[in-house]
Amino acid sequence: MVDVKIENVYKYYGSIDGVAAVHDLNMDIKNGEFVAILGPSGCGKSSTMRMISGLEHISAGTISFGGNIVNNLAPKDRDIAMVFENYALYPHKTVFDNVANPLKLAKVSSPEITERVKRATQLLEIDHLLDRRPQELSGGQKQRVAIGRAIVRQPQVFLFDEPIAHLDAKLRARMRSELKRLQVDLGVTSLYVTHDQLEALSMADRVAVMHEGILQQYDTPQAIYEKPANAWVATFVGEPQMSLIECVIRQKGSGVVLDFEGHEIAVGAKVGKVLAASKEREVLAGFRPNHVAINTRKTAGSIPGIIYARQLLGGEILAEAQVNNTMIRARVNTDFSLQLGDKCSVSLSKEDLNVFSADTGVAIY
Amino acid sequence: MSGENVSKRHPIFTADAWGFRASEQMPETINRSPSKLFYVYLMAPAIALLAAITIYPFLWLIYMSLHKVKLGPVDDKWVGLKNYAKLLSDAKYFEGWVLLGKYSSMCLTFEIIIGVTLAVILNNSRFEKPLVTLFLMPMMVSPVVAGLLWFYLYNGTFGWYHWLFESLGLLGGASILGRPETALYGIVIVDVWQWTPLITLITLAGLKRVPQDQLEASMVDGSSPIRNFFSVSLPNIFPFLLIAILLRFMDNFRFIDAILALTGGGPADSTKLLPVYLFDVSFKFFKLGRGGAIAFSLLVVTIILGLILVRIFEDPARKQAMSAQD
Ligand SMILES: Nc1ncnc2c1ncn2[C@@H]1O[C@H](COP(=O)(O)OP(=O)(O)O)[C@@H](O)[C@H]1O
Ligand SMILES: [Mg+2]
Repeated sequence: MVDVKIENVYKYYGSIDGVAAVHDLNMDIKNGEFVAILGPSGCGKSSTMRMISGLEHISAGTISFGGNIVNNLAPKDRDIAMVFENYALYPHKTVFDNVANPLKLAKVSSPEITERVKRATQLLEIDHLLDRRPQELSGGQKQRVAIGRAIVRQPQVFLFDEPIAHLDAKLRARMRSELKRLQVDLGVTSLYVTHDQLEALSMADRVAVMHEGILQQYDTPQAIYEKPANAWVATFVGEPQMSLIECVIRQKGSGVVLDFEGHEIAVGAKVGKVLAASKEREVLAGFRPNHVAINTRKTAGSIPGIIYARQLLGGEILAEAQVNNTMIRARVNTDFSLQLGDKCSVSLSKEDLNVFSADTGVAIY
Repeated sequence: MSGENVSKRHPIFTADAWGFRASEQMPETINRSPSKLFYVYLMAPAIALLAAITIYPFLWLIYMSLHKVKLGPVDDKWVGLKNYAKLLSDAKYFEGWVLLGKYSSMCLTFEIIIGVTLAVILNNSRFEKPLVTLFLMPMMVSPVVAGLLWFYLYNGTFGWYHWLFESLGLLGGASILGRPETALYGIVIVDVWQWTPLITLITLAGLKRVPQDQLEASMVDGSSPIRNFFSVSLPNIFPFLLIAILLRFMDNFRFIDAILALTGGGPADSTKLLPVYLFDVSFKFFKLGRGGAIAFSLLVVTIILGLILVRIFEDPARKQAMSAQD
């Protein structure tokens, strides 16, 4: 178990003048920490993980485990365990032999192999499948065999590349809590790649959000959710999505207000102070759907709009109001009576908002 | 050590048995699956023609082996199993088997080892495409031409390879085909030269289908590239190797064009493999009945060995096929 340091790492496929799949990545993963890399498909998550595992050459920069640079070590010399998206089990080997493979390669004695495989498979509840071959297993079982193959030894680092992406929703939810438990119990430094924010936010100690090969933010799940570093992270993380409203900061009396297409949005004292100090004039104000209310009746400071869409999310409704060309989403109760096209009025929270520069997207508040 | 930490069982993965369950009731009628008979009708004429073309000579072969075949306008004479009985006391017949066994096992061994090694080296290398094209050339040459080509290369007075062997101090001046001790190796080399590319080609096709993620998982598990080849690639290319080995083994038992061009069975019968002997008996001495008996025994052995080969490879091959559908 070690800490992992990624310093100024680049990944180019093919020519160096091309677009970098990973661009100047800097990350440190503490010993025993569970870090998730979150980002849309093609943002460079797998490339990052494969450079850590040694399966992909590091174009520039260094990766070190416990202070030792591993750039030139083959995967087998890095003492890592990896779980692949499509399981990558050996079809001609039984479940037992699949799980035992890393131990056999490490020349562990055969009674100990039997013992350790038994323990790992019991833990994952696949010990009754030891004689089966991968093609006789369900997706969930295959996944557990792949995880068994990783936890059967205590590697320096666990690497998970979208390990549960192909499971059905229910099994995925269960595997989330299970993987987290396993990681805490084993205490192994882990890197978990996913495009699913629920997985990243629910399991990781820290989340690295990537977009187009560039690390956008690296922080705790809570900080990523509450204090996104820029407007892209703000809209990518959080389901349903945060609504962004183009506003202008306007002086009013001793404080400031946000001017949204002629409507005045009052802000709390704390936000007001930060905005007054900022040099930016044009900003994006972001509101999470639970900080927006949509009502039938007009209240002080509310903005008139039209109901554009409503979706039942189970215990609540996501209502979307259209104000000119801007969509504002709110979570409302299931007794919400307004229908599509109805007039409504939108009230925004004074305190719970994020403000980003309209120019650069960087967070102001 | 993962031991201490992995000891307790997590309360997960419990079966969820709270939904509706299937009842014992069966449907009243089962819909019939569509018949494939129509396609059989469509193929019947072609199958009949093929059968007539292949089965007739086969039956004729058996007929010949049971007769003293006269080439003139006289009727063939029924001799029963006499042709076969005579083979039992024919030393050249058994020697032919031994030589054929040596020849084809040497050819197969070298062709497989060299062919697979070349394929592994070439696979995904920068030179794969040009080199594969180059390697294909020997295969395109007709075996007789290959035989003649090598006949000249081996030639004791002006053969370039002969000169090479001699310069290396090998063979002590005699041509490789000129001495009974070395002539068999001479023809093995030609077969290996001509047919190793086929093995390379087939293996390359197999290697393309080895799943990348399995190779990567194996590397992460801690295996070296060589170990990786044996534990991941090889099981995955097994069915391809089966086809290659079957093809080569059967060809070695049948094709003698190159051998006829190179040695014609000599010197001192040292390259008179069974099929060469068969050629001599049938078409030099025109003992067609005896030739029929030799040919039939050769055919039976070829079929039996082929079936054994398929049986050996079948199991892993089928597993591979199953996993490929996965
Ligand atoms: N082997 C490769 N050759 C060329 N380009 C690649 C290769 N692997 C990935 N890429 C490119 O690099 C970028 C990042 O890919 P990847 O790291 O796999 O993304 P992610 O795992 O986040 O979906 C993508 O644009 C992808 O097309
Ligand atoms: Mg990926």
